[in-house]
Amino acid sequence: MQKDLETKFLSDFEQNQNIAHKICRLYTTNQDAHNDLFQEITIQLWKNYPKFRGDSKFSTWMYRVALNTAISLYRKSTRQVKTQDISEVEFRISSFDYDDTEEKQLNELYKAVHKLNDIEKALIFLYLEDKPYKEISETLGISSVNARVKMNRAKEKLKNILNP
Amino acid sequence: MDLLEKYKKAWDNQPEEKNKVSSIDIYKMAHSKSSSIVKWIFIVGVLELLFWSGINFFVPDSIYVIYEDLNLMSLLNVFLILHYVIILAFLFLFYKNYKKISIIDNTKKLIINILGIRKTVKYYVFYNLATFFLISVVFNSIIFSDENKLMKIMNPKNLSMDMSQFITITLISQIIALIIILTLLWLFYKLVYGILLKKLNRNYKELKKIDDLN
Repeated sequence: MQKDLETKFLSDFEQNQNIAHKICRLYTTNQDAHNDLFQEITIQLWKNYPKFRGDSKFSTWMYRVALNTAISLYRKSTRQVKTQDISEVEFRISSFDYDDTEEKQLNELYKAVHKLNDIEKALIFLYLEDKPYKEISETLGISSVNARVKMNRAKEKLKNILNP
Repeated sequence: MDLLEKYKKAWDNQPEEKNKVSSIDIYKMAHSKSSSIVKWIFIVGVLELLFWSGINFFVPDSIYVIYEDLNLMSLLNVFLILHYVIILAFLFLFYKNYKKISIIDNTKKLIINILGIRKTVKYYVFYNLATFFLISVVFNSIIFSDENKLMKIMNPKNLSMDMSQFITITLISQIIALIIILTLLWLFYKLVYGILLKKLNRNYKELKKIDDLN
């Protein structure tokens, strides 16, 4: 039983690992911190996997656990240097077959999101991932209406950073 | 088009992570140790207990002779036992917090749990400071209530001096020492647990702003 659970977890996680990577990129600014957070997310996912009953999709559940880990249970991020290491982010996401303007925009976006606080980051991330308000409010534990209001504020803030 | 829509398109088209992790790596990571804040609060609590009880071994026996002279040894022992029981209870609470904090809960519930942890830590620090203060006050009042005892401890060489002046000087120096030690202890806790709680506090405040928890 334990073995089955483990195999299932490993394959589910492997397929959805991009979610965790994206969160790590939003919440950290260098590769070491990225790896640390990724590992912490992995630990938390595995620790909580027995409680995952499959009443939602694995990815939905993963968004919640990974975001909560990034928001609250992560110790090392306090050591993070405030100044942003741009070249490293660029290095982390650059790719040959990728549109040049979009690459630039993506870098700007990451840079801007790094300036938001942890909760705003979560809101913006869920927006970028096209999550419905229902899911956003469940993930954060606030009402739909409230999620909508706060989302608009977070978006405004982001726009101001992107286009001052 | 909305400014963010443009960026959102870039987001949607972003390449997948190049350093993909294999399931073997995931397996290894999942079985390694967590470094969560709550766990560190528990570990630091245990280390602290070991540190203070370790210090007891290095306290010279002559100190205890003083207490024996004053017939305070049994009182001291009662205090110590009670103290360790309470500390162990706190450690148990820290451990329970660490176990309880389940991140499948939504963020708000998680933050409420964190608030509970913060409270436990606050009580823990307050308890330690209060105990130290209380014990000092009790022992000092016992010593000061008896002039003979006082002379014996504070003036072992039996130098002749004015009694009331002597008491005043001793009292003032005792109070100053107490204030200094309490401040140092407070700074110690502020530093150790303050660092651990800093990020948690920040996120708690943020979420409280977003959704008035009260």
